[in-house]
Amino acid sequence: MAALSTARCLFRSYSRVKNVQKSKQILMKCSVRTFCSETQDNAPTDNAKPSFSDPAVQDVLTRITGLDLQKVFRPIKQELKPPAYQLMTDKQLEEAVDLATEQAKKLLQMPPVLPERKPINDVLCEDKMLDGMDTAKYVFTDITYNIPHRERFIVVRQPNGTLRKASWEERDRLIQVYFPKSGRKITAPLIFEEKNLKLVYSQDRHEDVLDLCLVQFEPDSSEYIKVHAATYENLDKHGKYDLLRSTRHFGGLTWYLVNARRVDGLIVDMLKRELFQDAVSLVSLFHMVHPHSESAQEAASQQATGIDLLKIYAQKESQRSGYIELALQAYEQTAAEGSAA
Amino acid sequence: MVHLSSLLLKKYHGGYVVLRLALAGHKQANRPFYRIVAAYNKRARDGKYIEQLGSYDPLPNIYNEKLVSFNFDRIKYWIGCGAHPSKPVAKLLGLAGFFPLHPMTITEAERRRAQTQRTETATGTEETVEEGQKPVEV
Repeated sequence: MAALSTARCLFRSYSRVKNVQKSKQILMKCSVRTFCSETQDNAPTDNAKPSFSDPAVQDVLTRITGLDLQKVFRPIKQELKPPAYQLMTDKQLEEAVDLATEQAKKLLQMPPVLPERKPINDVLCEDKMLDGMDTAKYVFTDITYNIPHRERFIVVRQPNGTLRKASWEERDRLIQVYFPKSGRKITAPLIFEEKNLKLVYSQDRHEDVLDLCLVQFEPDSSEYIKVHAATYENLDKHGKYDLLRSTRHFGGLTWYLVNARRVDGLIVDMLKRELFQDAVSLVSLFHMVHPHSESAQEAASQQATGIDLLKIYAQKESQRSGYIELALQAYEQTAAEGSAA
Repeated sequence: MVHLSSLLLKKYHGGYVVLRLALAGHKQANRPFYRIVAAYNKRARDGKYIEQLGSYDPLPNIYNEKLVSFNFDRIKYWIGCGAHPSKPVAKLLGLAGFFPLHPMTITEAERRRAQTQRTETATGTEETVEEGQKPVEV
């Protein structure tokens, strides 16, 4: 009799064990949220205006970003290890360089550019009878492991009895408390204040600021967009585009400038460094995004490619047309001399 | 992983599973922190539990919030297995909106309101008494 009941107990608890193990396996297979996965889902293909995540736009931006291996793999602040030397044949060296280019492409993955998120003002319940129940708010977080952070339930019960959904800032803070991400702080670092940002810009460390911003804030939060806008403005004002070339932030910078129609500085910089193909792709991107501008219509009517695109752009849109035309003339001369010789 | 000893324990005690608050870090004085826990009924409050389902910090932080976390998925599972929530856990779940509101929460709110009203009227009468006294003294 006792044996039968213990056997029944064993059977019941074994079924419980099985379920717990299965859920543990599900937990193990849970994957980390990657940056660009969301944008691919929720960016609709807009025929009227191409968005940041369109494949054509991304193509152009990756080409303009460039792939300077020396700059991508330059020494970052990390733990000091003695260098490892390997003896390789030429073929092995090529393979190693290929692997390095692939890894560099992964490192250069562009963070998404999303519109600013709308504030949450959802009230779930108003209980007047709970008024004055406590002096502090109660914040309830759902810690279920395998739901994405965007869909998590975080609700606040206020002392006057209303049960509302938590605002975006509260959400970010609490998700950092219960699911900490390395590098992110609960309160934003002081570097993101106005005067500290100015100091950082004077030291030419725009890239570090943008990396910190990427780690700390969500891509659609207002602080992220503000910091990025301020950094891009500063870069445009001083013409320091080369700081971001061959980093993952160059695409974002170009997209911001193209949307603001202030591409002149960037084109001048490219021409100075003799990156004519990049300048051509940049102008074609500009025409893609602003198809109703004069230069875009002119280019479409003439079906221009290459240097002609740049000439049309210089005549129609830009304010510094003189410099661009001079540079184009010099390029054509050198190309003619090169082909003649 | 359920070990043989806990099966014998359950058979031995004839106990059931409860969801309750267990005091964590009880070597620290004056800083309580509770874990919301599924444990057998007869176990010590802070002793071995089956699974942790959340936490509750009774002291408010710098933003004046008391942080509570619940693993709703597992709580649903244990309630489905027939676990009984204790009164404080039921109150917290009621405040969260997962359970209907506990009657004691409403009663406590009403008592607090009555208390604040009484202190307000008491201070009101004190002030009037003081004002009454001052002109007499002067």
